[in-house]
Amino acid sequence: MARDFDYRQHMSSLLAGESLLDKDVMAATDTPVVSMLPNVHVVKIGSRSILEAGRDVVLPVVAMLGEILKQEKLILGVGGGARSRHVFSVGLDLELPTGVLAQLSMADALGNAHILGTLLAPHGVVAIPPEIFGHLLPLFIHSAPGVIFNGVPPYSLWEHPPALGKIPPHRTDTGCLILSECFGCKSTILVKDVKGLYTEDPKLNAAAQFIDRISVAELRKENLPTLPFDEMLLEVLETAQQTREFQLVDGRNPENIARAVKGEHVGTMVYADQN
Amino acid sequence: MKDTLLSELGSALVNGSLTDKSLLAWTDHPSTMRILPAANVIKIGGQSIIDRGRKAVFPLIEEIKTNLPHHKMIIGTGAGTRARHAYSVGIELGMPTGVLSVLGTFVSMQNARMLHYLLADQGIPFIEPIQFPQLPLYLAERQAVIFFGMPPYTFWQPNPKVGRIPPNRTDTGTYLVSETFGTRSMIYIKDEKGLYTADPKKNRNAKHIPRVTVQELKAMDLQDLVIEHSVLEMMENAKNTRSIQIINGMVPGNLTRALNGENVGTIISSD
Repeated sequence: MARDFDYRQHMSSLLAGESLLDKDVMAATDTPVVSMLPNVHVVKIGSRSILEAGRDVVLPVVAMLGEILKQEKLILGVGGGARSRHVFSVGLDLELPTGVLAQLSMADALGNAHILGTLLAPHGVVAIPPEIFGHLLPLFIHSAPGVIFNGVPPYSLWEHPPALGKIPPHRTDTGCLILSECFGCKSTILVKDVKGLYTEDPKLNAAAQFIDRISVAELRKENLPTLPFDEMLLEVLETAQQTREFQLVDGRNPENIARAVKGEHVGTMVYADQN
Repeated sequence: MKDTLLSELGSALVNGSLTDKSLLAWTDHPSTMRILPAANVIKIGGQSIIDRGRKAVFPLIEEIKTNLPHHKMIIGTGAGTRARHAYSVGIELGMPTGVLSVLGTFVSMQNARMLHYLLADQGIPFIEPIQFPQLPLYLAERQAVIFFGMPPYTFWQPNPKVGRIPPNRTDTGTYLVSETFGTRSMIYIKDEKGLYTADPKKNRNAKHIPRVTVQELKAMDLQDLVIEHSVLEMMENAKNTRSIQIINGMVPGNLTRALNGENVGTIISSD
């Protein structure tokens, strides 16, 4: 390579002096990754759908999580639910940018993480502050049956401007799936208040058809009017190396969570297409 | 019962789906404010400037000091060759993208600290993401701050489409500060005049491009780019920062001229 007129101080390495924007250089970095927590499940507990739906819905889920935690290690993520939606609407009305809305939403999810943490405290599971959560996660998982975090990824003021509108695109489902991918977790389960994915919103149309299993490419082709999870999950799956699927299950029957953790197919599986 | 506490949009947001396209389109109104419209975001390249040492850095620091009375500057730093070393070691050992992102953050933080000491006699602070609430105060009092350019995504850095290197690095992190705060300019200081048809360090026949749109740039499908791809993607969706400039910081006076609104390198615009 002609470097005679390059006089920068380089350290010798595979990538030294190379542009990290060069396509061939990038392709050379595509190698397998280590799985940090291969026996741990990431379970996202929906906020509007479960955690804010009242004790009749929440307490059976908490009891079931307590049972599961006797055998399995769980990373429990929660979202900001209705309060995040409200703060978005006030923030939008005040003309605040997407990055500020993302920063604000973290507080609501943290609140919900503490609610779930209080309920699961008898099982030795508490909410971990986001500042230390990622770095200490393997330690917590080794020492406790599970941990709770606010699912909001730490994008905050650095949130990406979305293609449409101003709502932060990396929300709590996304935070849970990227975490699972980075730590190489065993499974990712989203617990909501629908059986899974339907051709239409089943709450609005009783004739909506259930989708048992679908790939990202098929789902993009279906172009459904709404999705019961963050649209960003599709992009995350498309580039995933370790977490190649997630399952959406109905938490109104908490048994579903236990079965999904065991690897059973009880809701809708969304999976990455073969590369 | 009508909920008088919520606006119509508020009620739609609380009850509706955030994947509903008509609801998302609604959130585009009203417009987006500019939080710091008088400030400029400046990114100082890691490999291109800081790794060169005093020869490149000292004149630039002097030029920043000269401009302090006239311009507010939010100064972000790149990572450079040590990040490439860390990425190389990490990739070989199987580190996932999120861990590589943490490693890149450490290197851009070292660079920010070094520049911070060189500007310390001006009372300019180095701020980490957690200190961004103090940014407006420091700009009002001292005209400038230094921050590390990596976005604070750590383990939540998304995988790239190809390979494993974090796709959102210091160009992106500094860009997003400009976009979120609605600054008057976003200037990238590198060691080339901007964008060329090929890497001018490897190909002497590469031609300079003074002005280009994101669309045109995508259509050119260059093998290599002077700016991270994610910046281009974000520029297409941007509310505030729809134009950026890349300048050669090895030429004295370029930063001053760019701060004064001149095109001395390459201007990339959203439309």
